[in-house]
Amino acid sequence: MPAIALALCFSVIPFLKTFVSSFLTISQSGKAIGFAGLDNYKTLFEDKAFISSIGNTLRFTLYFLPLNTVMTFLAAALTRRRRKCTWIMEAIFITPLAFSLSAFALVFKEIFRGEVSIINRILHTSLLWLDRPGSAMAVLVILGLFLDFAIDYILLTAAFRSIDRSVIEAAEIDGAGEVRKLFAIETPMIATMLSITVFMALKDAILISAPVMILTEGGPFRSTETIMYFYYLEAFKSGNRAYESAISSMMVITSAIIMGIIAVLRRKDA
Amino acid sequence: MKKMIALSLLLMAGMMLFARGSKESGKTVVEIWHSNSGPSGTAFDEIVDDFNSTIGEEKGIVIEAIYQGLANDVLTKVKAAASADISSLPDIAQLDATACLDMRNADYLILPESADIEISEIHPAAIEALMSDKGLLGVPFNASSLLFYYNKTLFDSLSLNPPETLDDFAAIAPLLGEKDSTGKVTRYAFAGVPATYELGAFIGAQKGLSYIVDEKNGHMGTPSKVLFEEDGTFRNFLGHWKALYDTGFVNNITSGISTEFAAGRTATMLASSSSLTAVINTVGGRFEVGTAFVPMTDEEATGGVNIGGGAFFLFDSSDAVKTVIEYFVSQDVQMKWAEDTGYLAINTALYDNPEYLAFLDENPAFKVATEQMLQSNPAVTSIWLPSAYQIYYSFQSEIRAVTEDGKDIDEAVHDMATLIQRAIDEYRAQNID
Amino acid sequence: MLKALRILLLGIIGMIILFPMAYTISLSFFQNVDFTDSYAHFFPSAFTFENYVTASANRYFPRYALNSIITSLMAAFFRLIVTTMAAFAFTHLSFKGKKVILIMLLSTLFIPYDAILFQNYSTIARAGLIDTYWGIILPSVFSASSLLFMIGAFSSYDRDVYDAARLDGAGDIRYITGILIHLTAAVSATVFIQTFITSFGSYLWPLLVTNRPRMRTVQVGITMLGFSETGDAGAEFASIVMITAPFIIMLQILRKKIMDSMDIKEGESV
Repeated sequence: MPAIALALCFSVIPFLKTFVSSFLTISQSGKAIGFAGLDNYKTLFEDKAFISSIGNTLRFTLYFLPLNTVMTFLAAALTRRRRKCTWIMEAIFITPLAFSLSAFALVFKEIFRGEVSIINRILHTSLLWLDRPGSAMAVLVILGLFLDFAIDYILLTAAFRSIDRSVIEAAEIDGAGEVRKLFAIETPMIATMLSITVFMALKDAILISAPVMILTEGGPFRSTETIMYFYYLEAFKSGNRAYESAISSMMVITSAIIMGIIAVLRRKDA
Repeated sequence: MKKMIALSLLLMAGMMLFARGSKESGKTVVEIWHSNSGPSGTAFDEIVDDFNSTIGEEKGIVIEAIYQGLANDVLTKVKAAASADISSLPDIAQLDATACLDMRNADYLILPESADIEISEIHPAAIEALMSDKGLLGVPFNASSLLFYYNKTLFDSLSLNPPETLDDFAAIAPLLGEKDSTGKVTRYAFAGVPATYELGAFIGAQKGLSYIVDEKNGHMGTPSKVLFEEDGTFRNFLGHWKALYDTGFVNNITSGISTEFAAGRTATMLASSSSLTAVINTVGGRFEVGTAFVPMTDEEATGGVNIGGGAFFLFDSSDAVKTVIEYFVSQDVQMKWAEDTGYLAINTALYDNPEYLAFLDENPAFKVATEQMLQSNPAVTSIWLPSAYQIYYSFQSEIRAVTEDGKDIDEAVHDMATLIQRAIDEYRAQNID
Repeated sequence: MLKALRILLLGIIGMIILFPMAYTISLSFFQNVDFTDSYAHFFPSAFTFENYVTASANRYFPRYALNSIITSLMAAFFRLIVTTMAAFAFTHLSFKGKKVILIMLLSTLFIPYDAILFQNYSTIARAGLIDTYWGIILPSVFSASSLLFMIGAFSSYDRDVYDAARLDGAGDIRYITGILIHLTAAVSATVFIQTFITSFGSYLWPLLVTNRPRMRTVQVGITMLGFSETGDAGAEFASIVMITAPFIIMLQILRKKIMDSMDIKEGESV
């Protein structure tokens, strides 16, 4: 299987090397100079900046996940059946797919820039969006929504439209209303796709780093520094190999646990 | 779908035919990885073309200049290439000052001394910036320093001169600032929160020369001790800075500062001298941009600023490399480079060169930056520290805590010293000397 | 009532999604002074194409664009093949160790890209693929998220169809290309487009594995123009529009196909 070969070459093997090195003491030049056991992990968890980056990541996830789910679900649900003008909405909703992260980040910087920004003019506020901890996080969440919106929208719409017509017609004969039809009949039928999009959003939220790098650089005052951005700084800017391998190992193990939990939960449902 | 697949296949097949190109033959190729984009990129290309058609032609040397992204990207590439295969490294890479720590520990770096490169004409401040316990790490090329930018039109209308000390600044800040009828500040006197770069000058210049950590700010070996706490230099700075902040006209923002400046919503700012062209561009003639020396922390803080910017790091010691490097630091090249890009010329012979002096007279904003370098103590240098960004953020957060939340100055200084000390200790544990 | 609510909701989401994109176009015509005026502009003060002229000034640009298109097409094409085959295997076939392999592949989702950057570089360098298209695309050919999307799409189809096809004597490959691909065209096309666009937008990796100007991609070409250093924000936005516009057009053309494919399927299943 080519997929397995590629994954081995470019993901799994490099990762295993990292995992092993997380238990070693490694010098700046990359030589292993001793066995450190769990010391690397210990210093990591004593680092205030790391702890606060966990908090920031959790906060991001907490805002991003529900908003993303509700927004994409609403958009897909409202346009799930073709009407005369749905094509306009479809056209709008898939367009963000064309924008790269760096493009969006640049536009967002401009929209939310300083006191005299277009967003302040629209909302009649005078907030320094990117210079206050709370609002900078909000902007980051909004950017995250834009990045995931189009693909989730397409996947959910595709799922909605692949539902067997006869089931819906049967429900109509039973006299089910619009809202009831949507939530009691159709939503359960797209449960797989919905859980995939939620899962992917969760993954994106936990791993968020590139948007932070381009939009806020962790600022102001480290309020938007997420785990993976902290990782990036330590690994690439500081050359701290101990942190580097410890964090990435920890992330993969944590996610494996999350995946395990999800798998178990789903089995129970079924 | 099928059409798409067929189209992609066709395109790909066509592209596979593009074989690798031919190599220059008979001449020694010197490969340089650089990060000059926009106008600097054009200037750099011209300098390279000039070499290839004159000296290079004569001596059988060809410079192959390859743009490798931003300065940071060039460093990433150098590290990646070195980790995979030393032979894939270029002969020369242009990196910025943040690369020094990595380069000092890199066993593939060739010191300019080993390549027998002549550096006597290079300004000492630029040399000191790259000096380590192993010797000079690289050859300075695009030098810059911190510079004070001000709205000259505004200063002139108030008949004010740029402040020489932070106390002067605090005295004129209320005049520079402006509030609307509701008491909301519509124009600040200063915008920004000092961090590593700015403190290099605010602390480094005190008493003529002060260090933030020992081993000459980490240049002469891995630092072991934080100095600013017992020297009282940080405390001194924070005292003056708080007085400035308490005028109510300092805007503690960390992003979009130059746009605020260009929009006239802050009267002054601190930025690299290399941003001069961009600043003038962004202001777009709305007002006249003035530059001045960075205000001193107090009357005794005479050390000036440290020189930063970029340098050439060598990975090969051939005669061809020597010829190329010496070409780049020569008078003619440095003059063209400085005039086209706004970087500081580092060849000392230029400071008596009438042509260059004429250029500086025509461009007073550039002249100020050069004079500031000449009047600074060359020994004032940037800090080389592991976990540099952690320290960067700690400076900003503590300064904010002191100014906005009224945190005790001594406590803030102590907190910063503790954090940096811990980073140093951790680093030493990992890299046992 | 319900209809009004639907239109209102759609209108709001549509406006939010549309705004940053529309604003980008407006920004691309901004003069330098428009960015720093005392109030934020919706529209440029004067209308010229100057920014576009500046943005297209790179002498290598056509070559860069061609490289980007080729590598993105290759990446999208091969990823589609690899993930389709893998997803098919996981949903339709049963083999030893299926669960373990699937979990292993999916756990690569959480391996931070930055963590394995240098090691992937070494792999590519040792294989002698520096300065080749393969070097640029190989690490992006397998993607756990695309695999997950494909599995999600495939698993919503009954095994009955497959079994029937098998009875009719269709081999696995024929079943995939003849039936499955058509049934899940919306998701396949989405994976294709998404890979294409992400690949087109990537910057650091193509920069790392190429040295020769003729192998460079568009994103590298843009930083080369150095707009952020010269403070030429208008030109920066113009280059975003220039790069994004073809994708928007491509998306809109494909939209009809994607959405149509869903409708046909609906018809068939009745």
